[in-house]
Amino acid sequence: MLLASVRAAAADEVKTVLGPRNIQLHDGAQALMAGDGEEGVRLTLLGLASAQGIRETRSAHSNLCAGYIMIDRPEEALVHCDWVLERHPDHWKAYNNRALAYMALGRLEEAEADIRRGQEINPNSRTLKIIKGMYLDKTEPVTPHIEIDERRNQAAGNKGDKPT
Amino acid sequence: MAAAGILVPAAATEVLETATTDRKPVYTVVPDYPEEARRDRIEGEVQVCFEITREGRTRRVAVRKSTHRVFEKPARRAVKQSTYAPLPKDAEVPAVKACRMFRFSLEPVVTEKVG
Repeated sequence: MLLASVRAAAADEVKTVLGPRNIQLHDGAQALMAGDGEEGVRLTLLGLASAQGIRETRSAHSNLCAGYIMIDRPEEALVHCDWVLERHPDHWKAYNNRALAYMALGRLEEAEADIRRGQEINPNSRTLKIIKGMYLDKTEPVTPHIEIDERRNQAAGNKGDKPT
Repeated sequence: MAAAGILVPAAATEVLETATTDRKPVYTVVPDYPEEARRDRIEGEVQVCFEITREGRTRRVAVRKSTHRVFEKPARRAVKQSTYAPLPKDAEVPAVKACRMFRFSLEPVVTEKVG
């Protein structure tokens, strides 16, 4: 028991808090999440230039795809989503983003295919459901209709019709 | 938004055939189509049963049948906000039960080419 606590204390002493290795990539992602597409793309491009390893590089391309969509440059977004999907064909977020880029370019069949592939990988994704709704609004727009049938009333004392 | 006219088809009266009193709707609230359901292209029906008080308010509002849960809350809320004509002071019937069927459907938007 004591030995265990000593070990735990020793482990605490050597613990080091690491910040993000690629600051620009990190800050770019933060900017994108805050809705600042221009700044997000700028920082992420800088982060991509100094990216180390496949994970950082993939994150950079994935975020650039999202960022270019945000600033309405879908052609450039496609380049980065394609980069991700060529190397990581199970990256559902890239399918999600590429579908958005395709929709912005009016390439609806390709958008639909990406939504389907994304939902195969992550069937519960709320984002993909929203994108699917956007796709359907473009291809099969609908207008909601609500019909009300008023049933005849009956005395409250009657049996067999209690609201459940 | 109040419904201009309320449909009472014959089929809808089959279950509650022992009607003794009719109460006149004064303010009928049409529920909102849930955005999630519209997005996911979900259609459905909800039957809400309730009591109408002497004053014309609804109470004991409950869902009786439903094809999809997403429609239940807006249907229930619409009934709670709806009102009926109050009974005259000398009326003997204390309160009546009623049911309202809401049919949520999505109709394709048809656009015409111009020129």
